[in-house]
Amino acid sequence: MTMLRAELRADRVTLGYGRRPVVHDVSIDITEGGVGLIGESGSGKTTLARAFLGLLSPISGNIWYGDQTLKKADMRKFRRDVQPVFQAEALDPRMRVGTSIAEALPRAARSRVPDLLEQVGLDPELAGRRPHELSGGQRQRVVIARALAVGPRLLILDEPTSALDVTVQARVLDLLASLDTERLLITHNLAVVERLCRTSHVLFAGRVVESGPTADLLANPAHPYTRALRDAVPKLGGDPPEAKGRTEAVPAATGCPFRLRCPLAVAACEQAPEPRDVQGRQVACHRAEDVLT
Amino acid sequence: MTTETRTPETQPLRRTLPRIPDRFAAFGAVLIVVVVLAAVLAPWLAPYPVDDPRPLERLLPPSGAHWFGTDQVGRDVLTRILYGGRTSLFIAVAVLAVSALAGVTLGVVAGYAGGWIRDVIMRVTDVFLAFPALLLSLALAVVLQPGVNTVILAIAVTWWPWYTRLAASMAASIATRPYVDAARCLGVPAPLIILRHVLPNSLTPVLVQLSLDAGGVILTSAALSYLGLGAQEPTAEWGLMVQQGQTLFTTNWWVVTFPGLAILVTAFAFNVLGEGLRNALDPRRAVK
Amino acid sequence: MSDHLIEARDLRVSYGGRVVAEVPRLDVGAGECVAIVGESGSGKSTTLLSLLGLTQNAEISGQVRVCGVDVLTASPRALRELRGARAALVMQSPHAALSPATRLGVLMRRALKLHGVRDVDRTMARAMEEVLLDRELLRRYPHEVSGGQAQRFAIALAIALGAEVILADEPTSALDVTVQAEVVGVLRRLRAERDLALLLVSHDLALVSTIADRVLVMKDGAVVESGPAATVLAEPSHPYTRELLEALP
Repeated sequence: MTMLRAELRADRVTLGYGRRPVVHDVSIDITEGGVGLIGESGSGKTTLARAFLGLLSPISGNIWYGDQTLKKADMRKFRRDVQPVFQAEALDPRMRVGTSIAEALPRAARSRVPDLLEQVGLDPELAGRRPHELSGGQRQRVVIARALAVGPRLLILDEPTSALDVTVQARVLDLLASLDTERLLITHNLAVVERLCRTSHVLFAGRVVESGPTADLLANPAHPYTRALRDAVPKLGGDPPEAKGRTEAVPAATGCPFRLRCPLAVAACEQAPEPRDVQGRQVACHRAEDVLT
Repeated sequence: MTTETRTPETQPLRRTLPRIPDRFAAFGAVLIVVVVLAAVLAPWLAPYPVDDPRPLERLLPPSGAHWFGTDQVGRDVLTRILYGGRTSLFIAVAVLAVSALAGVTLGVVAGYAGGWIRDVIMRVTDVFLAFPALLLSLALAVVLQPGVNTVILAIAVTWWPWYTRLAASMAASIATRPYVDAARCLGVPAPLIILRHVLPNSLTPVLVQLSLDAGGVILTSAALSYLGLGAQEPTAEWGLMVQQGQTLFTTNWWVVTFPGLAILVTAFAFNVLGEGLRNALDPRRAVK
Repeated sequence: MSDHLIEARDLRVSYGGRVVAEVPRLDVGAGECVAIVGESGSGKSTTLLSLLGLTQNAEISGQVRVCGVDVLTASPRALRELRGARAALVMQSPHAALSPATRLGVLMRRALKLHGVRDVDRTMARAMEEVLLDRELLRRYPHEVSGGQAQRFAIALAIALGAEVILADEPTSALDVTVQAEVVGVLRRLRAERDLALLLVSHDLALVSTIADRVLVMKDGAVVESGPAATVLAEPSHPYTRELLEALP
């Protein structure tokens, strides 16, 4: 399986708005079993998602779709194959949700709207409602139904549950897990990645700092930032989360971007670390071995 | 599936927002209907012929025969106001229709497209804004015949860029909404995205602005009339009446006060209606 | 008269006859942290706001004492004094509480002077230190600081004014987890060092379990379960609490 090239992949892309890059030289293959893109605000994860969706052209590097770059690919086919699931706010507030779902369907296929609503666990009657007449969880399901309408093979999920209450979130995650599509999941929520993605990449300041199997990554991080992220998540009945290093330190412009926040930073960190193979994963850290022990 | 609909926590908070009561907006709408009806029905409502100077009845104060008095050539002010409403409202409607159509079309295209298309449209807009409105109108009047049509053209030419700016800034913000991205990812062509998503969601402030501007257009047309570029005697027009009557204010207050009030009341009514529209057109409030 | 800094009995908040929050009993003592957890629409934020008399157009019944002030009968002036100094509110969106055109230092100085705090400079410096913020931040405008910094500044302002009680409404849910850890750390330390009473409204049970002594679980305006955090979260007796816990990712 892993011998096949991923259908969609980023090859050393640098992305940004105007001249200023916010994502630097990132390569990610969207492989089977779900791929997670973990990062906090400002990490560039949503920018990457937009590039994968063909909404933003790379400053350098390429997004490959099969054996074509997105610039040359058949966009009609691409738009059928790859669909986004944004947050629940991704619905036109004035449009009835049935109309939103049917937007990209040919006239003859519009009768499928009730089926699509049922597929995401909603009452087909809701098609006549407007977004503000639905709950957050219902809106999120509508967003998913709209994405499924064109029969995509890959979903790009951008924080699909972060605005929802926990009990609703759990049910939407069940729905997403049950869908028969490949997925790229963009989130700050480690638990959601664990649930939906076999492989994960951790982004910091527009760079991938660690990639590998999600389970290994979270159980035993090799990058100090991955570890800081994991340790900051409060655990039920656990010790209070502890902040390590100063979170307000801005990413360093040269060398390792994390070094100003890193409790393990040494002089060598002024040289930018190249991603290297450490225990079955890619880590961009001079001190990965010390993090692992 | 449980359906938590709207949360009780957000509802009371919304109630605390300062809000113009709907009754107030309805009052504005009623006022406008009255003004429009008065203008339309002027030939039947007016007690005197519109252009009937009676030199012996100049500057009579308000009385039973002339409720609003008579003007400097002895015409009934009430009659002139009723007829003047036709001219003033026509000018306002025409100017705003032309400005909004041109302005909003260019604006949503500029705002959605961005890049060089936006730059070109906005630079053209800036050029028009850079000209002093009156100077541009003067130039136009030199080329064209003074009159109501010239006023409409002259004001519209200087008015539309504001709508372009408004629509462009709205459209630019709408264009970054996730639902627009979602439509693009579905392969919906740009003109359809503009028509279905960007335009409807950009319109609220435009409609509000239209109502708020109606009074301004009436005032501007008054200024042009004063310079001899606008409505010409003997056409009845509120602005013209105010301009002609203003020197008489201390001695014969009614000549200028009543047309002034007509402008004020009309502008106020449009304003209130504008506020009401703003509330009514917000889909989150419409359901209440 | 008990020594609880927050004390509510039979609190009931309704809008136009519709009850949105009903809390039979809520006590927070000095140095104690009590959390109200629930999902959107549970009435948890309304409860918190009503404790400071900040719910507008609401009908409130019951007894509420905060720092000894009877909130439901107090004069507007007494309420303002209470909210300004002894009981501080920390909101979800830290920037919303900061006037955009005022430097943070100016804002804090004005607030301190208004409340007759002496030795303004030293108080300010100490408060900033306590929340681990660089004093240089006082020269900045609100948009020039991050969410975590703004939130810690809000806490610094509260303690500079001598707050005994902090009521926090989802204070970290708009923040990144690493930043959240820092803000929570500051709150915990202040609680221990200054004997602050902390009332925390949150949807995050895991977070609450690490900081709160006692928990109230609310659903649809009613308290469905309350008790020591360890007990409620380890052996929930109400099905809804169990559902919440099971939903935890």
